[in-house]
Amino acid sequence: MAEIRVEYVVGADTTDVAVRRPKSIARRGLLVVILIVVLGLPLARFIGPYNYVLQIGMILLMWVALSSSWNIVGGYAGYISLGHNVFFGVGAYFTAMIFAYLRVSPFVSAVAAGVFAVLVGLLFGLITLRAHGPSFIIATIALSLLMLNFFDNWDAAGGSSGIGYPLPPFPIEWVKVPFYYGIALCAIGAVYLSYRIAHSKFGLGLRALSQDETKAEVAGINTRLYKVMAFAASGFFIGIAGSLFGYSLTYFRPVTFFQIAIAAQMVLSSIIGGRATVAGPVIGAILIAAVNELSVVMFGATALNIVVIGGILLIVLLFFPQGIVGSLREAGRLPAFLDWD
Amino acid sequence: MTDFMQVLILGLLLGGVYALMASGLTLLFGVMRVVNLAHAAFMILAAYIAFFAFELLGVDPLLSILIAMPIMFVLGIVIYALLFRRIEGTPRYVEMTVLLTFGLALVVEGMLTFFFTGIFRSTGPSYARQSFFFGEFFVPKGQLLALGVSIALLSALWAFLTFTKPGTAVRATMQNRTAAEIVGVNVRRISAMSFGIGMALAGAAGSLLSFLFPFFPSRHWQWVAILLSLIVLGGMGSLKGAVIGALILAVASALMTHRFGPSWSPITFYVALFLVLMVRPQGLFGKVVRI
Repeated sequence: MAEIRVEYVVGADTTDVAVRRPKSIARRGLLVVILIVVLGLPLARFIGPYNYVLQIGMILLMWVALSSSWNIVGGYAGYISLGHNVFFGVGAYFTAMIFAYLRVSPFVSAVAAGVFAVLVGLLFGLITLRAHGPSFIIATIALSLLMLNFFDNWDAAGGSSGIGYPLPPFPIEWVKVPFYYGIALCAIGAVYLSYRIAHSKFGLGLRALSQDETKAEVAGINTRLYKVMAFAASGFFIGIAGSLFGYSLTYFRPVTFFQIAIAAQMVLSSIIGGRATVAGPVIGAILIAAVNELSVVMFGATALNIVVIGGILLIVLLFFPQGIVGSLREAGRLPAFLDWD
Repeated sequence: MTDFMQVLILGLLLGGVYALMASGLTLLFGVMRVVNLAHAAFMILAAYIAFFAFELLGVDPLLSILIAMPIMFVLGIVIYALLFRRIEGTPRYVEMTVLLTFGLALVVEGMLTFFFTGIFRSTGPSYARQSFFFGEFFVPKGQLLALGVSIALLSALWAFLTFTKPGTAVRATMQNRTAAEIVGVNVRRISAMSFGIGMALAGAAGSLLSFLFPFFPSRHWQWVAILLSLIVLGGMGSLKGAVIGALILAVASALMTHRFGPSWSPITFYVALFLVLMVRPQGLFGKVVRI
């Protein structure tokens, strides 16, 4: 199946334009509709009370950003990371510390938090990506726990009792809007980055090394550089999302971000939607975040959420490991508007 | 110097228990190439069995090993049949096992939190709070007993693998799965059995854990990371490596605790893991395998 995908990318330039046009119209139409809905959602303010809707919208978009970013290294490069919540937490802490010590608004320093997350990704990518397969996965778990331990013990960053912001200086009825737009831009950026990588030589190289690293190396791909770059690049939008989400919480502790359940949800969203596809993580993220929200509303207990997430992961892996997009494509039934690759 | 010796004694005592905890994990990887992220979750489950056996029925945690091991053995075979038989021979098998056991760990953790809440628990048999004194040194009685159990079980495991026919088949499967199948080993039965044994060892380790360390459901992530760094250091799939890795890192973390306080001691394991990956990714006794 993977060979077909590579062939498809290679053959993309030569595909008949007339064949591809209806596809791209359907896709473009959907894209415009999505953008209008996403960017116009805060206008619902004028219809009625909407804070809950906006909050849910923000959470869904945040997961879209996280899963699409995870997919760059976990999907395209095929290196499953169970420690990507580290970028999320590092972004949140970077911004909070900048705010606490320099009083720079989080909306300004969010981009710097993304850059900082990329640097962290470079550092740990250089170390952890020396390992392959299971050792790499283990290293990422250790990375996540290492950071939890580190921030729990680092008193300048609040230690285990956490760090707090003053309330955001916006009128109460509009307070969610800046956060919503920040996260929305972040999600759009993450999906665009994922799309661009999927359609680039870099993405092709990542897919090649995910199939067979030795052969990719022989074919002239600098696999080590590619892997580390993918790992670092995937941190950018997760870092930004973390910094904005941290501010929207106004108070958080190390365990808020450095818990494995967050990484689990990124992994699950990408797998259920379809790893190594552009549309997969988006669909998966929305689906899982919605299921999560529903199970909170229905059961209330957070422990059952974990059971639901774990259970879905087991079922998807056993019965359709390609995910929604991958399975549909294999059956030749992928609707054109979902084919973003 | 006496301080150092005392820390060394405590570290080695701990290392013996860690070795038992890691043995099931490394056995499973050796035989089936399964990286069982749910290992520690099942250990915590067994710790809850020991806890409730002690609180409700007054069964000593050391005795409840005899309850936990058969339960976990059967559970292991059921899990193997339900989950792992299906994915044999799929592409990216090892990665698949990690994800499957990850899902399994989440389910177990969620269930445990749901039924038993996230409160710290610990069984308190009398020996958990007593110590022996040898001159200037003290040896906690509970840890000494746990070390005894650990040595007994590890020796039994070693004897089973060395002297019995099924044990030889297990070792053959560890060395080369296909070749073992060719010479007539029923690899599926051996896999099921190893899964059962691995889980039973987790069960025994859980009973020991219940009186050595306070526990709560989500603690298992920290445990599994510690155990995985032990077996990465020793070389994945090597039992000897697991024991030696456990002793080295337990002493290192005891020294770390002594010097900087207990909250920094888990970091020893993670830093060791990164160092091993940088210097010698296959570990001390591991084979270089391309996966």
